[in-house]
Amino acid sequence: MDIDDFGPKEPTCRMLEANDKRAYFIVRDWNLETANSLRRVMLAEVPTLAIDTVEVIDNTSVLADEFIAHRLGLTPLIAEDVDKLVDFRDCDCEDSRCDNCSVTLRLKAKCTGNDVMKVYARDLVIESMPPSDKLGQPVITDADGLGSCIVKLRKGQAIDMRCIAKKGIAKEHAKWAPSAAIGFEYDPANKLHHLDLWYEGDDPKKEWPADEVRIDLDGGPEKTDEPFNYDAVPERFFFDVETVGGLSPDAIVNNGIKVLQQKLASVIKELTGVDEANAGLDGAQSPAMDGGFGNDGYGNDGGYTTPGYGGGNAYAGGTTPYGATPYGGAPGW
Amino acid sequence: MEGSKILRTAKLINDNPNAQKRVPYHYVSHKTAAEENLPGRFELFILDEGQQKIEVREETKVPNTTVFTFNKEDHTLGNLISQRLLKYDFITFSAYKVPHPLFATFELRVTTDGSITPKDAVVRCCKDVIQDLSKVSLSFQGEWLNQKIIEEGQRDAEVRDQGNY
Repeated sequence: MDIDDFGPKEPTCRMLEANDKRAYFIVRDWNLETANSLRRVMLAEVPTLAIDTVEVIDNTSVLADEFIAHRLGLTPLIAEDVDKLVDFRDCDCEDSRCDNCSVTLRLKAKCTGNDVMKVYARDLVIESMPPSDKLGQPVITDADGLGSCIVKLRKGQAIDMRCIAKKGIAKEHAKWAPSAAIGFEYDPANKLHHLDLWYEGDDPKKEWPADEVRIDLDGGPEKTDEPFNYDAVPERFFFDVETVGGLSPDAIVNNGIKVLQQKLASVIKELTGVDEANAGLDGAQSPAMDGGFGNDGYGNDGGYTTPGYGGGNAYAGGTTPYGATPYGGAPGW
Repeated sequence: MEGSKILRTAKLINDNPNAQKRVPYHYVSHKTAAEENLPGRFELFILDEGQQKIEVREETKVPNTTVFTFNKEDHTLGNLISQRLLKYDFITFSAYKVPHPLFATFELRVTTDGSITPKDAVVRCCKDVIQDLSKVSLSFQGEWLNQKIIEEGQRDAEVRDQGNY
């Protein structure tokens, strides 16, 4: 069956919960491989901001420099507009700490009182000129506005560190992970029998609590009177994206989709040699609402649905003319 | 008693000539001595010097078959493309493997029925997935805004109720 035969069955979302911390939603009429790839991308490949280099000017606290540097690295920073930062590995500047590729924060504290002093994430002060106001500010969600505690100082102890925050992805280090957790589930009623439930007694149903709410959202429990459908595939996916705080939950999902689209576009570019993703990539970087990557800009103009790439579509004028190099041109054909 | 003890230690730290002066600065990286032998984790997604993203090798023993080697990619793309390809009529075989878990690479083997080259099949598959993702993205953004408005309305209503009470 050709994929086009599905016709009007397009993937759609249904939001169950949407707030500053969480995006809990269902995608219907989708497929497992794409849903899982989106999950993986949101976990490991959405760029965020985190402290990557620490200059220790002074540290007389009880914690070792490395210990504090590690804590600083894990401190969540607001990562909205990280797109405006250049990847520090691609930046022309010498020690990768210019305003184009990094945000510099200073942590400077000294305990002068007799009580133990706590140094919090809110004490991180931006020293550089980041491309937007919020970018690089420590994430603070508690009622007192403190953020997480970094060190404790006793009288006379001081700490002074210059922290260089850079853009990165969680594949390199978990400190760049945008999401605290991503819930991902399909078929909560186990109608597809993808799960083989382990049980001690006579009946697994007695030992495994059913998630009634989700089962209702997924079309009810298994119908025992019907024969098992061997062709059934998962089509509904529960996503529960919880943010660390650097990016809003919807930004994680949108950026995840964007990153995955760019990945695929780079494959197309690599294989065709034509940067047809140009239009696509621009569309993907601007909010998808404007349709750059949407149906009109990218979609059904015929060039993509017919394998021949015939006619006067974007390919004709590309850098590698298709007419001149037949597909079989590679050696061995 | 306890207080004087703290004071004495504090004085010591202030008098320590090494405490406030550290020139040159001490740089700290996440790399510990034990990690010196490890390859950088950025090697998982940044191409080596002169490395190509995709190496295409025609399979001469089987007609209409190509093996694509994707460098610096993982299951995210491998599973997505190979599984998606299986849904097309013109695909007779499609699978991927990661030859070694420590090397960020996978091999995608695609056989078609001859009506389309494997390369074009992969390109078409990628385009279709991009479109699908756009649809999800649009739908998600609309739903997000709706739900956000609803939840904010509920919160406002709760605040109002509390005020009346």
